[in-house]
Parts: sequence; structure tokens; C-alpha cells
Amino acid sequence: MSNYIERFSTSERVLHWIVTASFFTLLLSGLGLYSRLFTGYFTFFGGGQNAILVHKIGGVIFFFSSLYMYVNHKKDISTFDQDDKEWVSQQGGYLSRKAAHFNIGKYNPGQKLFALYIAAATAVLGISGVFIWMPLLFPRWIVQISLLSHGLMFVGSIMFVIVHVYLATIGNPGTIDAMLYGDVKKNWAKKHHPKWYKQTTGDNQ
Amino acid sequence: MADTINQATRKGFLVDTSRCIGCRSCQVACKQWNKLEADKTSNKGTFENPRDLTPALYNRIKFIEKETTGGISWLFFNERCMHCGDAGCMKVCPSPGALFRTKEGIVAFNKDKCISCKYCVSACPFNIPRYGTDDKVSKCNLCTDRISGGMTPACAKACPTETLKYGVRSTLIATAKAAKKTLYGESDLNGLGVVYALEGPPERYGLPEKPSIPMSIFIWKDVIKPLGILGFWGSIGAMLLHYVTIGPKKIEDEEGGGHE
Repeated sequence: MSNYIERFSTSERVLHWIVTASFFTLLLSGLGLYSRLFTGYFTFFGGGQNAILVHKIGGVIFFFSSLYMYVNHKKDISTFDQDDKEWVSQQGGYLSRKAAHFNIGKYNPGQKLFALYIAAATAVLGISGVFIWMPLLFPRWIVQISLLSHGLMFVGSIMFVIVHVYLATIGNPGTIDAMLYGDVKKNWAKKHHPKWYKQTTGDNQ
Repeated sequence: MADTINQATRKGFLVDTSRCIGCRSCQVACKQWNKLEADKTSNKGTFENPRDLTPALYNRIKFIEKETTGGISWLFFNERCMHCGDAGCMKVCPSPGALFRTKEGIVAFNKDKCISCKYCVSACPFNIPRYGTDDKVSKCNLCTDRISGGMTPACAKACPTETLKYGVRSTLIATAKAAKKTLYGESDLNGLGVVYALEGPPERYGLPEKPSIPMSIFIWKDVIKPLGILGFWGSIGAMLLHYVTIGPKKIEDEEGGGHE
């Protein structure tokens, strides 16, 4: 009997890495636009004008792939049950070394919140991005608000992404497997997502 | 920012609107010196022409028309880049050297360094920068090439009524004050490089009473930007701290688990 169960299908994984790649492309090409402290990052793209071009292309890819990812997972990430409340009240056990057990489904509330934030950020960054792309076609106040919200949502995104990367790698050993090969260890699933484990395997141990 | 300005030696304009006769010599001289193409305009039933600044029109006379008994009276206003002491365009420009301050205190531009982001359009308190078909910034640069050689800007040189007076800014202001003029732009935005003696309240000229960098631009650049950098490193620091204090959530080994 296999020690592994599938967590993400091939297409889910590919989509995730398209979103990831476009996110980091946007980060690198956008840094120089964020502040003159980071003007040096323009050189990766051969100057500011090219960085802007890359940012626009990356933006379109990120917008649609991230939006598609949200639509695919809308049901899983936007409902919170009683077990989720328990998780929240104990911060998912992340603030203590004591072993904590929660009856969590496919995603815990932290993951759901992250996914919802990224979905909202995708919408705001995408829409404000259009105004910033063609500022002369819109009233100045719209473009001004867009510049502000583009910066604000980016800051939230990068902070969330740092936490996301930490928790998905060294913070929770075994988690990255889900995004690399798609399969996770059964013990991992029992520990982190017992309700999901039972639903998928029918195993009630 | 490395945008320092010497108020004692700073050069600028004093525009005494009461002297202006609306001849538009300044518009023409500017076009000629800066080799700007003519713009095609249309008659909209007013003497004002063109109706707005364009990529090829760095300064213009705005006609503020008022109907009086038996005729029309005008206020004339020379509209152009104000060369703000605290310039919104320079604050947001991500490309070093695209917008820069000259030793005279003028906000000049270099099209070769402009990356066409157009942030300056959003950040200008006076809605001055324009982008043409070359997709590069254009606005009044106070004839940097002339003034760096000790010459007077083309518009001021051509002005027949001395409405546009170019010189050391503090001297121009002192002279105007001695003549009991009410000045616009003396101290706003760290002092405008173009100071006006208006014939009425600023609103009549379509000017903000107290010009400032748009609030959203201020929040973007002076609040979100620094807090964002703090948030980035703070997040990384918090994760590292979590790892070495509370540590990762390890899963039990299959063999070592033994509690089933």
C-alpha cells in the first residue's frame, strides 16, 4: 500500500507555478518602479522601459492565471466551518511548541485567507494596472488612486507570500511535495488535514 | 531625496498678470527656441488659442473671459511648469535623471532617460507634463540651455510688456512686494519657481488656493513605500524568528509514530 496520496493534480500544479513565475517576474520588474532605491533592478531587463514592458506582459499572465486559480478553488476557500474557528482561536498552533490537533479539511483558515487575499489583490492590481498602463485615457484622480492601491496591494501580497513560502517549505516539512510531485505523505495529511484525509481515503483511523 | 535647492541663488520668474496684454509672444518665442512643431487648433469661439498645453506647447496664455456690460474683459494667465521647490514629478519619477533640478533650481527633463511611465502626469499639482507621439515627457524647462549660458529664457526675452520677468527669485519677490503686489507661490511647495502677481483670487485663474502634491501621491510615496519596505523585511524576520523559536511542525515518522 502506498504511503502517499494525491493532493494537487498536474494541471493544478502547473497553474500554481505559472502564477508563481509571473508573480516573481512582476516583483523583479516592478521593484524599480516602486522606489528609486531599487533602480538597479531595471538592469535585469535592459532598462526601465523594458522593465515596464515585461511588467505589463507579466501582469496579464498573472491576472488571468491567478483569477483562474481562484475560480477553481472558490468553493474550498470561501467557506469556514466550526473546526476552522477552533483553528483560528488557537492560531493554528503556530504560536506554541505544544502539539495541537485540528480537524481541518483540504485547507486551513490561514490558507483560505491567503487565497482570498491573493484573489482580491489580483482584481485590484489588475484593474489599477490598466489605469496605470494608459494613464492619459482616464481622469487623473483615477490614476492617482490606482497608483496608491497598486502599491498597497503589492505590499500586502509580498508579505503574505513570504509567510506562504515559509509555511509551505521549512515551516511545515513535507508540504512542498504537494506542489512538486502532487503527492503528500499520508502521515502529513493525517496531521495537517485530517478531515480531508478521511474524505479522500475513506480511512477512519 | 537628493533634491536640494539654494533659495538664495535660485532663479525663477515673476509673472505680473496685470501687465499681460495677451499677445502670446511668449508662446511663439518658446516654440521657436525649443523647435516645437505647430499644433493644429480649432476655433471654439474664444480668443484663447490653443485651449490647453500640448507636448509641443510648453507655455501658453490662458484667457479667462468675463462678459461685462457692452463687451468682454479678460484675465490673462501664463500657464506653464511652475518649477516647484518640492516637485511632485521628481518625487515619483522612477528613472534617475529623467526629471532633474538644475543648479539654477529649475526642474528640467531629459527625454533620453524618460521611461514613459507617466507617473509625473499624476503627481503634478498643476497638471502640466504632457506626452506626445514620442511617448516622452515634455514641459517647460525654462530654456535650460539658454539660462545655463547666462541668457534670458526665450519667453521672457520676447515679452514686450515685462509681464514675464526672469532673475534671482528672491530679488524678484522682494521687488514685487515693495510694489505692494500680492504673490502666489511664494512659499507653497517649498516655493514655486514661477511666482505670480495675480489680479484676483487664485480660483479665478483655475489655480488651487494652496497648491500641494496630491494626497494620494503623498500616501503612495511617503507612507506606503517606506512601510512596505519595513513590512517586507519584517515578514522575513518574523519567519526566521518563528523558525528558531517555535520551530517547524514536524510530522512523526511512520516507524516512530507507533501510537495507532
